[in-house]
Amino acid sequence: MNTCVGSSTLHTTNLILSSLVPSPSRQSIAITGAGIVSPLGLGWQANEQSLAADRTAFRPVPAGLFDTRELIAKTAGVVDLPAANLFHRIPSHKQAFVDRGTQMLLIAIREALAQAGRQNMEGIDAMVIGTSAGAMPLGESYFEHAQQEAGRVPSQLSRAEHYQPQRQMNSIAAEFDWRGPVIIVSNACASGANAIGWAADMIRSGRAKRVLAGGYDALARLVFAGFDSLHALAPSGIPRPFDAQRDGLALGEGAAVMLLEAEDARQSAALGDVSGYATATDLHHLTQPDPAGKAAIRTMTAACVQAGISPAQIGYINSHGTGTPFNDVAEAAAIATWAGDAVAGIPVSSTKSAMGHLLGGAGAVEAVICLMALQGQWLPASLNVREVDPVVRFDLVRQFRRAALDYALTNSFGFGGTNATLVLQRRSA
Amino acid sequence: MNSRNICIRGVGAVSSAGWSAAAMHEAVLAGTPLPATPCARPGEGRSWPCASRLAPAVPPEKIARHPRLRRSSAITRYSVAAALEALADAGHDPTAPPPGLGILFVMQNGCVNYTGRFYHEVLQNPAQASPLIFPETVFNAPASHIASFLGVDGAVSTLVGSSNAIMEALDTAAFWISSGIIEECLLIAAEECDWLSAEALTYYHPKLIASEGAGALLLAASGDGPKVGAVIGPLAYLSWQERCELLPELAAQTQAQFQGQATLINDRTGITKLDHAEAAAWSGRSWNSVLSPKYILGESMGASSSLQLVLGAMAARQTQQPVVISMPGTNTAAYACVVTP
Repeated sequence: MNTCVGSSTLHTTNLILSSLVPSPSRQSIAITGAGIVSPLGLGWQANEQSLAADRTAFRPVPAGLFDTRELIAKTAGVVDLPAANLFHRIPSHKQAFVDRGTQMLLIAIREALAQAGRQNMEGIDAMVIGTSAGAMPLGESYFEHAQQEAGRVPSQLSRAEHYQPQRQMNSIAAEFDWRGPVIIVSNACASGANAIGWAADMIRSGRAKRVLAGGYDALARLVFAGFDSLHALAPSGIPRPFDAQRDGLALGEGAAVMLLEAEDARQSAALGDVSGYATATDLHHLTQPDPAGKAAIRTMTAACVQAGISPAQIGYINSHGTGTPFNDVAEAAAIATWAGDAVAGIPVSSTKSAMGHLLGGAGAVEAVICLMALQGQWLPASLNVREVDPVVRFDLVRQFRRAALDYALTNSFGFGGTNATLVLQRRSA
Repeated sequence: MNSRNICIRGVGAVSSAGWSAAAMHEAVLAGTPLPATPCARPGEGRSWPCASRLAPAVPPEKIARHPRLRRSSAITRYSVAAALEALADAGHDPTAPPPGLGILFVMQNGCVNYTGRFYHEVLQNPAQASPLIFPETVFNAPASHIASFLGVDGAVSTLVGSSNAIMEALDTAAFWISSGIIEECLLIAAEECDWLSAEALTYYHPKLIASEGAGALLLAASGDGPKVGAVIGPLAYLSWQERCELLPELAAQTQAQFQGQATLINDRTGITKLDHAEAAAWSGRSWNSVLSPKYILGESMGASSSLQLVLGAMAARQTQQPVVISMPGTNTAAYACVVTP
């Protein structure tokens, strides 16, 4: 307990009671570790290889997850988790209450820490994690048990407890015997990007030196049925972002995190920087974007201003690119307006075409893909495009290609109108 | 500026005591738990007692009209009412919110009624599940509706967390304001009750009574109104036992932050097993008065700390003395804060 109190007192001093200073607009935040879990694979290397091979990851949703027979869409990007228990400090009878998404997040965190040369989370001031659905499958299970049983079911306490995202994050903290603030951002599909931007802001303002930030979501029956009810899912199961005949998105699952550090406190080699972040709210509709993408124009503009660059310096955009008719029109219009004369020279793709829409995990996974692209000097593709939509005025990347780039930008737009843009910068060797 | 000096320019609340901060304040000062009613369960009923204290029906003057609010959930309606009250309390015209306004929204369970209804439809026949309901189940739907209602197109964000997660939002609100991202911030935490969440609480303790509501605070760098004099925490813990062991440290750190007479607003539920660690931690000094909103109003989960903060601001205004707010939380971290007149 002494360690706990000491550590917590440190957080009290550093995070909450310290003076807040205006955010220096051009202060880059070092990325010293990254981890990624997606339907394309577990880890950086597996994802890089899949992206380089233009591979897609869609397959029928396993019956063990949920039944899709009555739904229009029946496929998704599914993560194959290791069979072995990932949590070593959770007793076996409690393992069932660790959500799939939490397991993915733990794998990503372990990879990020390892990349930064760390064995544990000591010295990390906070975790900022985005999720849209949290541990929804546990909530579903709680609901079903409550409906079926008139009497008390003892295991319902564990379901109610572990349904809460912060309780799931507590399992991760316990795995590392780490005690610190965990902030859970839930801005639908922008959650992961918001979490990374939030963490960068914490460091820029001096409230933290080192933050683990990212996002996750696992497939859940309620969410899948929800998108299906909206006719937002591609009936074919193949998303075709920026295709003229696109007919919807495919859902996926996954997680990604970055270890962000203040440059003056950096303890590991930097892989890149978060050099720009902005968020804004699209008030047009709860689920549909403003057709002109006005909020997206604002976030792309503000993020580039913070990074101190012009649109022409962006070497790659990982678009939100869901493959729904409304989103892609709005985003293409926004990119064209924001980039102006530079638009034709800006490579853009949607990696959702390969792995699906990871919802609360999407922004974080796509940010890590940008980091991988900057590191490897390549561009991932927008797959499955047959005829490019005429609204596209940018350079739509339709095959994996090598490229020289110093800055990558990623957009995330969520239900409810939350728009977020991150700008990442390459670190020269 | 930092979160210690941030000014609470206005407050608003919806609770089981009624659709205003004043109604809640009056009920909590009266000190008598509000009546609880049996919580209805669909289907065959349940074999154990479960009660709740719900917000009363909305008074006609509190009905906000906007296209986005037609189908909105109870949590959204509570939040809109609390937000409008906080804006008015700060002297703003609620129909013309100030420029530079941001919104931070906090919840624990979220839009549970629509979520339960939608999932029930999915289980019955997913092909006929309502596409109108699903978007309302998303955690950030209430914040989106409020932003649309008030015309806030800048910084708007939703956090999910324990009952005291509003303190994480307070920290961010202070940063947003101090860095010029916004000028004022509506900090809202809210919850709505359904039979599932009411039952869930009885698994924690059979006498725990679910409640609902929303608390809203309008924050600014300066202006008239009480200030957040000190924030203590997060003191993070991984278990209930660690929580109990941390609370004396929380109380000691807090009591070093002020002098003289003060009011304590604690997290007490009225159930000794749940309350004893907190009660022991704060027992070392005499208080001008001790208020226990959860004991009076019920357990409103994600909204509960916002209601404490609203009460804290009101008590500081009324007594012109410091108010200490104890927010030990349930499963992640403990906080306390001092609100000064």
